[in-house]
Amino acid sequence: MTRRIEKVVIVGRDAAAWLVALGLQRAVGQTGVKVQVVELPSLLQPVDFYPALPSLAGLHALLGVPEAAMLKACRGVPTLGQRFVGWGGEGSSFVHAYDIQRPAIEQIDFLQYWVKARGQGLKIALEDFSLAAAAAKQGRLSDTPAGPDTLAGFQPGYHLDALRYVRFLRGGALAAGVEHRPATLDAIRREGDRITAIVLHDGTEIGADLFVDATGAEAALIGQMPGAEVTSWGEWLGCDRILAASAPVLRPLPAFGQVTALRNGWVGLYPLQDRTALIASYAADGTSDQDVLAEAAAAARVPVSGDVVVSSFEPGIRARPWVGNCVAVGAAAVGLEPLDAVQLQIVQIGLSNLVALWPVEADTMPEAPLYGAAMASHAANLRDFQIAHYRLNRRAGQPFWDRARDAGGPASLQAKLSLFGSCGQVPLYDDESFLAQNWSAVFVGHGLIPKSYNPAVDAVPPQEQMESFQKLLHVIAEEVRAMPTVETWLARRTG
Amino acid sequence: MEDAERIRRIVIVGGGTAGWMVAAALAKVVGTRTHSITLVESDQIGTVGVGEATIPPIALFNKLLGIDEDTFVRETGGTFKLGIEFVDWLRLGHRYMHSFGLFGVDMNGIPFTHYWLRSMRNGAATDKDLFNAEAEAARQGRFARTPPGAPATMPRINYAFQFDAGRYAAFLRSHAEERGVERVEGRVAQVGRDSASGVLTDLLLDDGRTLGADFFVDCSGFGGLLIEKTLGAGYQDWSRWLPANRAVAVPCARSGTLLPYTRATAREGGWQWRIPLQHRTGNGYVFSDGFVSETAATDALMGRLDGEPLADPRVLKFVTGCRQRSWIGNCVAVGLSSGFLEPLESTSIHLIQAAISKLLAFFPQRRIEPAIAERFNREMTLLYETTRDFLVAHYKLTERDDTEFWRYCRTMDVPDTLRAKLDLFRSRGEVMPAGHELFREGNWFAVLYGQGLEPDGYHPIADALAADELGRRLDQIRAGVGARVATMPAHSAFVARCCAAPA
Repeated sequence: MTRRIEKVVIVGRDAAAWLVALGLQRAVGQTGVKVQVVELPSLLQPVDFYPALPSLAGLHALLGVPEAAMLKACRGVPTLGQRFVGWGGEGSSFVHAYDIQRPAIEQIDFLQYWVKARGQGLKIALEDFSLAAAAAKQGRLSDTPAGPDTLAGFQPGYHLDALRYVRFLRGGALAAGVEHRPATLDAIRREGDRITAIVLHDGTEIGADLFVDATGAEAALIGQMPGAEVTSWGEWLGCDRILAASAPVLRPLPAFGQVTALRNGWVGLYPLQDRTALIASYAADGTSDQDVLAEAAAAARVPVSGDVVVSSFEPGIRARPWVGNCVAVGAAAVGLEPLDAVQLQIVQIGLSNLVALWPVEADTMPEAPLYGAAMASHAANLRDFQIAHYRLNRRAGQPFWDRARDAGGPASLQAKLSLFGSCGQVPLYDDESFLAQNWSAVFVGHGLIPKSYNPAVDAVPPQEQMESFQKLLHVIAEEVRAMPTVETWLARRTG
Repeated sequence: MEDAERIRRIVIVGGGTAGWMVAAALAKVVGTRTHSITLVESDQIGTVGVGEATIPPIALFNKLLGIDEDTFVRETGGTFKLGIEFVDWLRLGHRYMHSFGLFGVDMNGIPFTHYWLRSMRNGAATDKDLFNAEAEAARQGRFARTPPGAPATMPRINYAFQFDAGRYAAFLRSHAEERGVERVEGRVAQVGRDSASGVLTDLLLDDGRTLGADFFVDCSGFGGLLIEKTLGAGYQDWSRWLPANRAVAVPCARSGTLLPYTRATAREGGWQWRIPLQHRTGNGYVFSDGFVSETAATDALMGRLDGEPLADPRVLKFVTGCRQRSWIGNCVAVGLSSGFLEPLESTSIHLIQAAISKLLAFFPQRRIEPAIAERFNREMTLLYETTRDFLVAHYKLTERDDTEFWRYCRTMDVPDTLRAKLDLFRSRGEVMPAGHELFREGNWFAVLYGQGLEPDGYHPIADALAADELGRRLDQIRAGVGARVATMPAHSAFVARCCAAPA
């Protein structure tokens, strides 16, 4: 019989450490595996927040994280998508909404009918046929699950106060039986490509069968392992600096985040219950932090108050995110900019792949390259989604944006752009976080309109098609009218 | 879009299973109101009539065409199929079932098979098929669909069909012709190409008529009249992994119980299929002429029929592999013209169906964007390759060394992609197929375990249940499967009641 893993130590901090700890405790803790967190000092500041895609709610359900209590504790606000402002030039905007179920007509994707109608002069934007986009713009969201008589229900994402979210997750993990050791790390002891122990500042040595690196971009463990260097994506993703700040709370609470293009990057505004989180992501080369702050506040039209925190980052991926008995999750494995709410998604992908590939045998772990391949595949799709925003920008005469438009992109993205541009189909790869309708919303939003449509669309007579459009718009308007506001939605959950 | 940019005239070359499937689907989806759809075939050219046995996704194709299932089964002399029984593959006298069903129910986010492996390791000796309703129903010769109005929590019965391919083509032909597809009798003598762009322009028939078109579908069979002989697509030869290159086929009179499954029996130099239909039984011997002569294979087949032969045996020749590109310019190859995989897992019709659904999704304008053909070719190649690996596994994992053929198969190198799956299965009882793959974890488990590959380990999460709790749940699932199967009628009774073919 093989030797099972008996102990796993998660070295890290913040949401990555505690989500993975709770996830492993739920998945393998019940088989007798001891799960310990060696918690390094947090890198979070009071201004920080986490944006989350709708998929986080699914993870919370699996982990037993109570949604209402979590939202209350974390000053959380639901979000139905993101509004992009100025990416297509001054005055342009569109919403990437999270509803992925736009109704098909005669089994053909709604988009195909829209492309045809647009070619014949229709002036209504694609997003106007999205229930979530319409609801988001009115600060409302659905309070009831999907039913036979309504458009498909959709799960919102969240904006969460970061420090409070970490505190909440830590409480849940400790209650579930995770062991906790706050510490600072002095060294790791390694034999070949296996870690035998980590050495803490007080001299304590901690051994384990498996070490998880959840230290974020610091990559305190995986960064010291052989063959785990970072492959940079900087040629396609030009931002390398992040600024975080806070603005006063917005009333009424919007049901979306807003991402506005700046001269050298972008600024995002994300509503929370008691404040508005602000993040700017930009290229340090050619601009000062002070200038960005001033431009961001002006572009976002909010007064910035309190602390402003600036940090650097590099987009890229570890060539081997699992080496020997050390596996990296979150930003220790994959660095992406804070666009499209991908940070927690990366953590979630790492956790689910680690659980799926939980080693059968503690001494060999042949699962490592499979984890690496899965992470690379997932991350490349997320990366392409981010690059698409830059690649399709239509801001004229600004070097940062001209460069982004001309930088090309990976062949995988090029194939998506070409096929979509010719027939409105999104060629999905394995391990996509965003589905076809997310991609098409972003492509169309940025101005990439398919040249042709599926000929089956012609089988529906124009009059009938126009009526179905009108009916859909009517249903959307009716349903949105019946939805509660964000404030009411929250009050019903959090008291 | 401008009218001049649109494809208006489509010609399909060849009227076998592939040709009429394409014609019926195009007529339904693209329509003959705005497009002319012509199929050219010759009564003098026989069709291969592959794909008498199918896999469950065919239900989607029927739905696309709006075909009533009972009508379709009745018209094609069809029967229902719950899986494939493999006989003598691991060793002589051994048999296992690859059913379309799921094993048990997933628990704690991992497949049931891990729990079953754990129970086996702890000394249980329960046949895994007792946890699989389709496998158990097949064993008992029973069949029923999921009852209408069954609760959503009740697992669906997964099934496909076995039918007369000649009648299927005729059935689809009438379906297509009713919807305005024009059938032209004739042989293609010459293919016209635009000298500048190289795109196909028209077909010259042997009686002197010319058929012009904007878009061409090559369903001409192995030779690939358009895609290969005209456009030179090139072919990847996979016969080092799948050495069979001949099949001899013959129908015989129906005998015995009407089985709800196909049987594949390993023979000296290949394997023999047995497909039970309402009006006859289909038989064939797939073999490699490098190991068994055509005469010997034919004699062997004729000597092993379980009913009177109803026709003379026919020999088909093929090379297993896949066209380098099956979409070039304004021509797409569908069916045998795009590649060939032996019918060991009944994938021929599925490969046609997959190409059709991609063609419909990517349906182009007259000026065809290269991105469309590239994506189509990439997806088809992946489908062929991953399906190939699944077939190769059946051969590679044999213990037989009684003939030269099986010694070759047992010791041959396999594609790296398959090697990785076999290693993973050996270490932890799963292969983790990628999202685009046709055969899923349960399919691989049935075949790899069936072929004698016993994993060294299983997913550690399966240890989470206490031993007595695990035993209780296994008993419960097995009892549930048993009770469900007991309510099903005999397959022959089900067919007689809902879709008996006219005598």
